[in-house]
Amino acid sequence: MNRRRVFITGMGIISPLGLGVERHLDSLKKNESGIGPISLFTPSPGNSFPVGEVPGFAQSLHVPRTHELALVAAREALSQSAAAPDSIVLGTTTGGMPVTEELLKKNETDPELYRYHSTSTVAEFLASELHCTGMVLTITTACSSGAAAIKLAYELVRTGTARRVLAGGADALCRLTYYGFNSLQLIDPAGARPLDRGRKGMSVAEGSAMLLLEAGESRPEGAIAELLGGGLSCDAFHPATPHPEGRGALAAMRQAVQNAGVALTEIRYVNLHGTGTKDNDLAEAKAMNSLFGNGMPLLSSVKGAFGHTLAASGAIEAVVCAAAVSEGIIPANTRCTEPDPELNLKPVLAPLAERAGVVMSNSFGFGGNNACLVLADPCMNHEKPEADDASEFEITGCACITGAGDTDQTMQKLQDGGACIGTLPLADISKSLPPREVRRLKRLPRIALALAMEARKNSNQDQGPSAIFFGTSFGPMSETYDFITRLYASNEQFTSPTEFVGSVHNAPAGMAAIMLGASGANLTLTGGDYSFEQALIAASLTATDDGGPLLVMGADEFHETLSPLFDESVRLGRSPSDGGGALMLRKYSGGTGVRIKPLFFENQKENPAVVASLVRRLGGAEEIRARYGALLAGMPMKDRGACETQLKGFISAAGFKAPVIDFRKYTGEYGSSTAAAAAIAVRFIHEGEIPASVTGGGKCLLGGREILIIGLGSFITAFEIFNYA
Amino acid sequence: MEELIAELKEKIIETLDLIDVTPEDINEDDRLVGGALGIDSIDVLELVMMIDKDYSVKIDSKELGEKIFASLRTLAEYINKNRQEQPR
Repeated sequence: MNRRRVFITGMGIISPLGLGVERHLDSLKKNESGIGPISLFTPSPGNSFPVGEVPGFAQSLHVPRTHELALVAAREALSQSAAAPDSIVLGTTTGGMPVTEELLKKNETDPELYRYHSTSTVAEFLASELHCTGMVLTITTACSSGAAAIKLAYELVRTGTARRVLAGGADALCRLTYYGFNSLQLIDPAGARPLDRGRKGMSVAEGSAMLLLEAGESRPEGAIAELLGGGLSCDAFHPATPHPEGRGALAAMRQAVQNAGVALTEIRYVNLHGTGTKDNDLAEAKAMNSLFGNGMPLLSSVKGAFGHTLAASGAIEAVVCAAAVSEGIIPANTRCTEPDPELNLKPVLAPLAERAGVVMSNSFGFGGNNACLVLADPCMNHEKPEADDASEFEITGCACITGAGDTDQTMQKLQDGGACIGTLPLADISKSLPPREVRRLKRLPRIALALAMEARKNSNQDQGPSAIFFGTSFGPMSETYDFITRLYASNEQFTSPTEFVGSVHNAPAGMAAIMLGASGANLTLTGGDYSFEQALIAASLTATDDGGPLLVMGADEFHETLSPLFDESVRLGRSPSDGGGALMLRKYSGGTGVRIKPLFFENQKENPAVVASLVRRLGGAEEIRARYGALLAGMPMKDRGACETQLKGFISAAGFKAPVIDFRKYTGEYGSSTAAAAAIAVRFIHEGEIPASVTGGGKCLLGGREILIIGLGSFITAFEIFNYA
Repeated sequence: MEELIAELKEKIIETLDLIDVTPEDINEDDRLVGGALGIDSIDVLELVMMIDKDYSVKIDSKELGEKIFASLRTLAEYINKNRQEQPR
């Protein structure tokens, strides 16, 4: 069989330059900039600076601005095709924040108003509008989210997991990012001038771009560009400042080039991350000089044209790169007049009409989360080595934190017949963490670090993890809440840069990377109640890139004000709980040991056969009965009725008679409780039995059989944990 | 001046949650950032906010910040000078 190639067959874009691909091609040819004064809200006195606002975008739907921007781009990307996408992968950092921050300003306490807060709701909204019944993933790696989403989508298509994937990024302007970046002194009061000698920072912007990726052995009709691959890395250096030598940037570019199977000399154009901050541009320039030396390709940053559209930027710049190969437009480094000699780069200062065969696009973000994509002219045929797929992992260590304590305390409590609901005191969570290094961290990053450290310690591997995959449904809520309340308490004059940096969903994974020296892929998935499953899937899609040990974890914090507003299950559950779980993994390479394998992820909406589809994926009723000794079911309280129907349907279709454990009864209600359940399941597998206190009947002797963990509700997910003797 | 230095020591510890540091641990002539206290660039920005809020003194660029935050004494001198020039 020929290698499965990945083509971009549709694109949509909305940005400060306007609406639609055609409009953007025109703007890029004319070297226009969309940076200007803000009109969306009135900044506090003395705090007005230029932004990239989408012009004339009047919202018509009752969803946050981020959601509507994403839908506009998605509809354009799909305008040439009638079929729904199999799968959606979206990068976003703000999600429903433009609405949430207004509501918090007014002290609104009606949870219904916050229903679109979660970053996961953007992709879920698209799935609903576009009738996508497959996998829906949300990735939140700050300013590299869009590019990381496209990399994951590329792997979904390459591995044959999906054939038509809609992927991209979206972010809308809001006070959180506007004042947040300003508190870090990263805003250029004159507007972003990337690579310019006089540059003083970035311009915060908004927008969305979406790509339709399709599989093909040869170029399908209408293919705009071929996506050759991508690379991911982590600086593992600092939460908000790039490594001064551009170490992570260089690693991501090298990984991308290798993954794409191209030679450096083939790369004709590089679209830089080029935010316009002193530090980013300098670090990126060093990485570029290290990589290309004297063979420097054409290069430019388009952030003087668009501003920094944050999670959208990687997707917007993928559209720009696709235009470079398909339309022959090499965009200018808009608003740069005198390149900074210290950078030793010669940016394209006026647009060039030249078709580039192979192009590269850089995106770097907070947490040192880096992503780099390689695109090519779809008419060229690149010889590329076949990559192997990692569909299962060996578990070398596990950890959980629950209301009962750490892993041993949790297992003891379960054995004694108690539930582990509740919230562990911060001092207990922090007991093994170095006090000075965590002094700035609030609840969620501490939970994540404690999990990472314990899983690492319990692991029998010599090496720490190189890649980290983190699932969280709502991210660091304490930091977010404190940032916003402090902002409003000072009439939008004062904010906390520490809290802004800490508020990004990927901050805990970035901190874990620093603490464990993990410089491989670092992805944070924010898929609501299915965040841990999404992190596991992301791991299985990208772990082959470097082959080192990896850490997959999920965690959420309980926040007194925000959790009940954001999560209906928390509200209905009435017993505040939080925590999570972490697994140290390595690629399965033969031999015995406990293993984990992701199996299934589908949207239940407009998908009446979803339970049948799950049964089929698991090998049919007979196979399910023979293989699984117990079923752990995640049944979020907010969808309790639907969950019970789905569970009954599954049990009856499979004729399943082994114990079924409704695990949220033991962990409490929170999105990443699945991660805690996974760690607990690993211990059950090790012990070969599940105590009677948990099964509700007698003690369950597994006798070599596996544990199946399924997620129910608005999505249905499944993964298995088993001992391969 | 000495009074301001003593006050700043307390405020720095409080603002940055330097839980294991006492005012006596801070020597006003030592390097403030990247030294033994473990203060980094984000901490500096946090202090910039505190100084703006509590003393109405703005330090709005990294270049300026690097000079002012050289030591606690240089910081106190800058606040003292600018506070007198721009009374609240």
